[in-house]
Amino acid sequence: MDIYDVLIRDFPFLLQGLGVAIVLLVALLSIGFVLGMAICLIQLYGPRTRLVQWPLLLYERIFRGIPIIIMLFIFYYGISGVFDISAFSAAILTMGLRSGAYQSQIFRSAFQSVPSGQMMAARAMGMSKIKAIRHIIFPQAARHAIGPWTNEFSSEIKETSLAYVIGVVELTRQAHYIITSTQGNVLTVFAVVALLYFILNRTGNSLLYAFERKLAVPGFEK
Amino acid sequence: MADELILDVQGVKKAFDGLEVLKGIGFGLRKGETKVLIGPSGSGKSTLLRCINYLTVPDAGRIYLNGEEVLDANIDSMRARMGFVFQDFNLFSHLTVLDNVRICQVKVNGVDREAATRRAHHELERVGLGDKAAAYPAELSGGQQQRVSIARALAMDPDLLLFDEPTSALDPELTGEVVRVMQQLAAEGMTMVVVTHEMSFARQAADEIIFMEKGHIVEQGTPDAMFTASEHARTRAFLNVIAEHG
Repeated sequence: MDIYDVLIRDFPFLLQGLGVAIVLLVALLSIGFVLGMAICLIQLYGPRTRLVQWPLLLYERIFRGIPIIIMLFIFYYGISGVFDISAFSAAILTMGLRSGAYQSQIFRSAFQSVPSGQMMAARAMGMSKIKAIRHIIFPQAARHAIGPWTNEFSSEIKETSLAYVIGVVELTRQAHYIITSTQGNVLTVFAVVALLYFILNRTGNSLLYAFERKLAVPGFEK
Repeated sequence: MADELILDVQGVKKAFDGLEVLKGIGFGLRKGETKVLIGPSGSGKSTLLRCINYLTVPDAGRIYLNGEEVLDANIDSMRARMGFVFQDFNLFSHLTVLDNVRICQVKVNGVDREAATRRAHHELERVGLGDKAAAYPAELSGGQQQRVSIARALAMDPDLLLFDEPTSALDPELTGEVVRVMQQLAAEGMTMVVVTHEMSFARQAADEIIFMEKGHIVEQGTPDAMFTASEHARTRAFLNVIAEHG
């Protein structure tokens, strides 16, 4: 059996690994989205007291300042000692928390790029702060955020492969299994895996860009 | 009561970083009146206008709209009754012209969408932009944007309109179309406070001109009195400079 037969035979495993990577990706981006949006809104519009702002700043700095691989080890081995957590859950949690730190900054700069006159005009018309954020600021900030968010999407796809180190059976680990069982063929197997990541990345990016074009407003500066 | 004040401003003070910009300003406005605030840069006119609807919260003093005091607690409903027109328009840039004029009717006043749409079209006709309903703000000239922002304020059916230097961001050839709309509103009996350097508007449309300097009202009176027989040397000097350059 040569490597191509093996690849064809084991392709379902690679797809399964890809599926795990996609679930991990969607889960971590969702956690990151909710966390990131909440943090951004509190940082920009919440109480200015240190009691509220400092913990958020600390969280954001820590998760952006430590390599993800170290975080994975800390969360998996650290937490599984006290609390029973699967490698997959640990990966989602760690990477979701980290994505939240990054997404909060993406959203924050998107909200800040909406001119202050927009909020002023909305408030002057009698909108409450919450209504103004919802109907006037958010729709504009969302348009500013899609571009940078696409970067976050791309880099997180690639980072899912790091879940490998704590034993999550995602695409990269499936590839490693095939390589181990066939003794070698590193180049061929990883080339296929690289292609799968690349296709996923391009598809996701194209969808996001299409979304960005759909929301584009004539004459509205990005 | 016909004589009752729509707007009553009493003893408004405001300081920024210890610098007192408004030193206790008071004036009143009856229904249908137009008052024009003039004065050199830094005299506090725009700050005063912003204090009326609490975009800038005054340090002291009271503001009454139709006898009801403007407070932090009722500010949203009070603002809905006072239209504000900004120097740089501040149209909502992600919304069409129609939606700009419609959104606050629906989201603030709770008007149903159909009625809001009719009202929006009516106000756009009124400012001469009935054919621009589907355009986005960035596709319009400055003068057109400012007229949309006036329509947006009118659609809320306000008791009072506040104009903060509405033509100062416009090219000279575009100020005319905005001034004409404001003159028409004044003639139709809209109650307005206007901060402006457009002396032609002040002379023609104002019931009273208020001249401010250094946080005080120096003098106030009818356009005739102010332009021809001002009692204060400072007012005359200011009006002369404006007349030469404006």
